[in-house]
Amino acid sequence: MTFIGKSLAALLVALCVPALAQARQQEGEQIEVRLWTLLSGGDGARMAALIQQFNASQREVRVVSTTLKWGEPFYTKLITASVVGAGPDLATVHLSRIPNLASGGVLRPIAAPELAASGLAGRDFFPRQWQKAQYEGDLYAVPLDLHPLVLYYNKTLAGEAGLLDGAGKLKPIEGVDALTAAFRAVREQTGKAGMTMESSQSSYAIWRLWLSMLAQRNVAVIDQGRFTYGRAGEECLAQVGAWFDRGYAVPGLDYAASTAQFMGGQAGFMINGAWEVPEMVRASTAGTLGFDYGIVPLPRMYDNASAWADSHALAIPVNQRTPMSPAKARAVLGFAAFVSRNSLRWAEGGHIPAYRPVAESAQARALMPNAMYAQAAQNVVYDPDGWYLGAAGPLQAMASKFLPAALSRQLTPAEALGMFEKEAGRLIKKRPPIY
Amino acid sequence: MKPNFHSPPAGARARRENLAAAMLLAPFALVFLLFFLVPALQTLYLSLTESSLTRTSGFVGLANYATLVQDPGFWASLGNTFYFALLTVIPLTALGLVMALLVEHFTRARSWLQGAFFLPFVLPISVMTLIADWMLQPSSGIVNHLLGTQRAWLADLHWAMPMVAIGTIWWTVGFNMLMFIAGLRNIPVDLYEAAALDGARGFTLFRHITWPALRPVVGTAVLLSLIASLKIFGQTYILTTGGPFNTTRVTLHYMYETAFTQSDAGYAAAIAMAFVAIVIALSLLQGGLVRWSARKRA
Repeated sequence: MTFIGKSLAALLVALCVPALAQARQQEGEQIEVRLWTLLSGGDGARMAALIQQFNASQREVRVVSTTLKWGEPFYTKLITASVVGAGPDLATVHLSRIPNLASGGVLRPIAAPELAASGLAGRDFFPRQWQKAQYEGDLYAVPLDLHPLVLYYNKTLAGEAGLLDGAGKLKPIEGVDALTAAFRAVREQTGKAGMTMESSQSSYAIWRLWLSMLAQRNVAVIDQGRFTYGRAGEECLAQVGAWFDRGYAVPGLDYAASTAQFMGGQAGFMINGAWEVPEMVRASTAGTLGFDYGIVPLPRMYDNASAWADSHALAIPVNQRTPMSPAKARAVLGFAAFVSRNSLRWAEGGHIPAYRPVAESAQARALMPNAMYAQAAQNVVYDPDGWYLGAAGPLQAMASKFLPAALSRQLTPAEALGMFEKEAGRLIKKRPPIY
Repeated sequence: MKPNFHSPPAGARARRENLAAAMLLAPFALVFLLFFLVPALQTLYLSLTESSLTRTSGFVGLANYATLVQDPGFWASLGNTFYFALLTVIPLTALGLVMALLVEHFTRARSWLQGAFFLPFVLPISVMTLIADWMLQPSSGIVNHLLGTQRAWLADLHWAMPMVAIGTIWWTVGFNMLMFIAGLRNIPVDLYEAAALDGARGFTLFRHITWPALRPVVGTAVLLSLIASLKIFGQTYILTTGGPFNTTRVTLHYMYETAFTQSDAGYAAAIAMAFVAIVIALSLLQGGLVRWSARKRA
């Protein structure tokens, strides 16, 4: 065939493919569900496996997934695509973003009969997650999990620092001074870093830790569009900064470098989300870890044991100009139900399943290392509700510019918070956008 | 004039020429209209409204501009943009000229040198920033290795912007070099020969022949570099995301954040319009300066 002939043939095929796809759908043979996820690494692999399992389990629906970059780029793309009707049929979102996405008109509410038809019911989910999935009385997402901030420890280093009990478990740490003392003990007894967490510019970890510390003191970060953290906010930030100042932790590490420091046995503790669990399990089974590790809920530093958490969930973008057919909605929720019922596999990602029949099963309870920090679920706090709050939302993005600078001593805690408030001032006064 | 019976009457010919000109101009005019003028006017309208990413909720007149004048974030970003231009425009011009002189001087290595100097320019921005990021890594980067330091250059209050500037100069200086090479090749050789007969050599030749002849090229290089530098976005967005704490957040980045992170398209449009006005004013000023200095010499 000549080049022109080939090009014409290719053009013809390209023109026919959408028609063919449409024809196939009309025959009722197979419905294609397009899913966008922000899941990378182990989470991405586990979701891919669940999709494969689902596609193999029946012939009516086929889920095709696309992975996009986590964080702000994902949400920006989801919002713009959904608004012009070019969004996917289903998307992973964080429950902390529901007020933003639902009030902005990005997500389509899930009606009670639709949900019931898929075999899911509200009582199957933990109340906290179920409530976070709603906005003004409507359900906008099917919760998948809960992933809190936890404390990882290296048993070799903690042991040398005298922090383990007879059974080789971490002795309870109560109060911020005890936690500081534990970091210091590791530093002084082993010469390694006491603690590690990401603290380079644009890091989100400090926001999560700061929010946890404030919640432990029963102080709200923001209330009714005004910052209310006050003196306590400065003290908490200064407290974390002191760990870096005194040399218990290395400042300026990005996410990858901070986890590498812990995995390489160079730090006694790591403050991070439960999502690092699969990597620990993998290295441990592969025998490359070089030490025994343990995980505990974030210690109680002040009045209570609050720890920041967020949840993944499956939600349906609104796609105003191309509303979803009932058949497609059934397919989408059918997949969400399948993922819920099989979320034990998802729990292997370190997450605590939101679907109670799975979460309360004997298998889930026995799942290690999840069992070590399962009780963290009782004390979790999400980002406060607000259109500008939530995972990688505008306010978190702002905080991630200024708060890390207080850990690297480029700014004092007061300066960092002052600059953060000044920048956020315009934002929190604004009306919530309708996208 | 003798009447020419083979060609159509003058009126018809003019009409035909006009038609041909219009047809030749049409594709450009259409593209200009569709992809520049219409969006520009839409942006102007948008800047007078309160709008989210896709929805307009009302005409607000000049309110966005009133906010803009009092917005420290905008002025700070403008300051950062000018700081970046200050760090890049003169080195881009001077280095481009030096490289062009080197290429023209070392005749045997000419194509090799020219290729080496121009090569970075063909890199996509993602590749250029990746290379710069690797080189500047605190613990594993070659820059720290050579200097024997552990500095986090791109997270450093004082060094972040200069490092972005150095990366940008390395990336784009090849273009200026090509302009200067073209300029150098346009200088008649007999000028040099005549001057050589009079005993001029080396720097004297440069000062009295090369430099005056290159003057217009220098003006163009400065203007193009200035416009390119003011438009900076990708380098800082990828390398520093505007940090540490906004010290490298340039105006276009601020506009992007306002539009996409905060979904305030109306205000972002006002930022865009104000910025365009500033760039045009500066370009006119710079062009005027070049013409003025040329007239003064003539």
